[in-house]
Amino acid sequence: MREIIGRYGTALAGLALIVFFVVFAPNFATTMNVVNVLKDTSFLAILALGFALAFTVAELDLSIAEMASLSAVVCGWLVQLQYPPLVAVLAALSVGALLGGLNGYGVTVLRIPSLIMTLGTAAIAKGFAFMITQGVAFVGRWPVSFTGLARGYTFGIPNLVLWLTGVTLFAWGLVKWTRTGAHMVATGEADEAARLSGIATGKMKRIGLLLSGILAAITAVLLAANLSSAAPNMAGDYLLYAIAAVLLGMTMFEPGKPNVPGTVFAALVLKVLGNGLVLLGAPYYVQDIVLGVIIIGSVAFSASVMKKAAFKV
Amino acid sequence: MRLSDALCELVQAMTDTTTPILSLRGIGKAYGPVVAVREVDLDIFAGEVVAICGDNGAGKSSLIKVVSGAEEATSGTLQMRGKEVVFASPHDALSHGVATIYQDLALAPRLSIAQNVFMGSELTRPMLLPFLRVLDKKKMAQAARGFLKQLSVTVEDMDRPVERLSGGQRQAVAISRALRWKAEIIIMDEPTAALGVKETALVLDLIRKLKADGRTVLLISHNMRDVVALADRVVIMGAGRKYVDRPLGDLTADDLSHMIMAGNARAA
Ligand SMILES: Nc1ncnc2c1ncn2[C@@H]1O[C@H](COP(=O)(O)OP(=O)(O)O)[C@@H](O)[C@H]1O
Ligand SMILES: [Mg+2]
Repeated sequence: MREIIGRYGTALAGLALIVFFVVFAPNFATTMNVVNVLKDTSFLAILALGFALAFTVAELDLSIAEMASLSAVVCGWLVQLQYPPLVAVLAALSVGALLGGLNGYGVTVLRIPSLIMTLGTAAIAKGFAFMITQGVAFVGRWPVSFTGLARGYTFGIPNLVLWLTGVTLFAWGLVKWTRTGAHMVATGEADEAARLSGIATGKMKRIGLLLSGILAAITAVLLAANLSSAAPNMAGDYLLYAIAAVLLGMTMFEPGKPNVPGTVFAALVLKVLGNGLVLLGAPYYVQDIVLGVIIIGSVAFSASVMKKAAFKV
Repeated sequence: MRLSDALCELVQAMTDTTTPILSLRGIGKAYGPVVAVREVDLDIFAGEVVAICGDNGAGKSSLIKVVSGAEEATSGTLQMRGKEVVFASPHDALSHGVATIYQDLALAPRLSIAQNVFMGSELTRPMLLPFLRVLDKKKMAQAARGFLKQLSVTVEDMDRPVERLSGGQRQAVAISRALRWKAEIIIMDEPTAALGVKETALVLDLIRKLKADGRTVLLISHNMRDVVALADRVVIMGAGRKYVDRPLGDLTADDLSHMIMAGNARAA
């Protein structure tokens, strides 16, 4: 019983929260609102999964939001210049890969703590984003072949939800079912033990940070496609939310460890919470306060669960 | 080189009992100003159990960390079967067939028994496409259970995190990991230090089995009775130097203790 509460307690609480808003928040359960919440969740969850993969190799990637903003700007710029959408998307992904690669290089070769390295990368990305846009957003009537990536439906399912499903399956399959994933987990859990077992720990850290950059770029493409615009600070607000999703996710399914299902479900809970609070008429600043409480509370909760686990024989 | 020559050389290497399987030449290791190992030469022959003894701080762990690739030597070279090798990482040593059980075990506490035993050498099976390989968790759990059973550890749940095991069980997990590599040379740094009487006997049995299996064992131990029971040859270190290297012959545990103390006195 204790085991179940430790493992699923917060997930059940999240579920209860969703039910609460369905019942009590006016207009929460309308199709349009639900689709909007799911779409919003997709951006957040994909970005948060990047953070979670970096966190899996025990590195903090604080540059996810700025990497996403710069990728979005590059993407929007090329779409605006009427390059084929494919070119724009590939360029955006390259930006994410480049920045993620830079983070990996800095952390493993130059041995800069990821906290510092990724803050530096974030500042650099932000600077370039403002340089390219000159501070204003790219907005236009963009081709449907591009905006459809985020706004379209396939077999009646929003494309965004399909992207999220794809990324989630990829991340989960990687971490849980591949040798590379096992090496990433070992590196994050005990990097000296992993190294002594013949694991290329530096490479694993680079892979985690690289994937974080690429997922930030995927988020960016979808954000730009959804809004038909790209602004230099468009993903800025997502950093804290993504961190909160990963930390809240660490309180469920595999307590104390960054994990894929937890991250995705926590992203949904956070978005439902934000949306529900708005519908209930709570002032906007309440969201920030709640977010902060969740970040702190999640870590406190994980720590207490882990302590109990360690003493249980 | 022609294939036939290569084969010849291979057969020669495998049947050669005069060329050491592993040679250390002038190995030195310093941690900044602290010199842990000085100018050690050592030859290990295939199938031997070589015990390395010496007081705390003698440099035993530092020496084997060089051989296991965990630390880079400050000076000197390693040879395997007469050919120079460079172990820049544990991975290099493992791929040359040298596996090590470290004194501090080097386990990941929150990961499961199976994950620890197969860390770095996970088993996979093809899935849908031949190149798409997924972890074979079932097989790993089974094999891990088998390794532990050899050491008479009967934990049923291979998913149990290592932090929830007893000291002896953890030791068994660390040993199982080394066995899992099927290495030719197995290095054990104080494998029985944390164990009770019964568990110690099992590890000693295991070492005998490894020897019977034709594997080469480098055993570091404080327990002279274990050394006398198992070793073909003893090496005694003090203050980073090797000062005894001889077949065990009819040396007793007491003789060994005296030799270590005498060495300490000389070093001091
Ligand atoms: N990582 C390290 N950094 C600095 N000094 C070390 C380190 N490891 C060992 N030493 C020092 O090297 C010497 C030999 O240690 P060690 O090889 O652990 O000896 P032993 O295993 O024989 O007890 C000791 O003086 C020890 O303090
Ligand atoms: Mg030691």
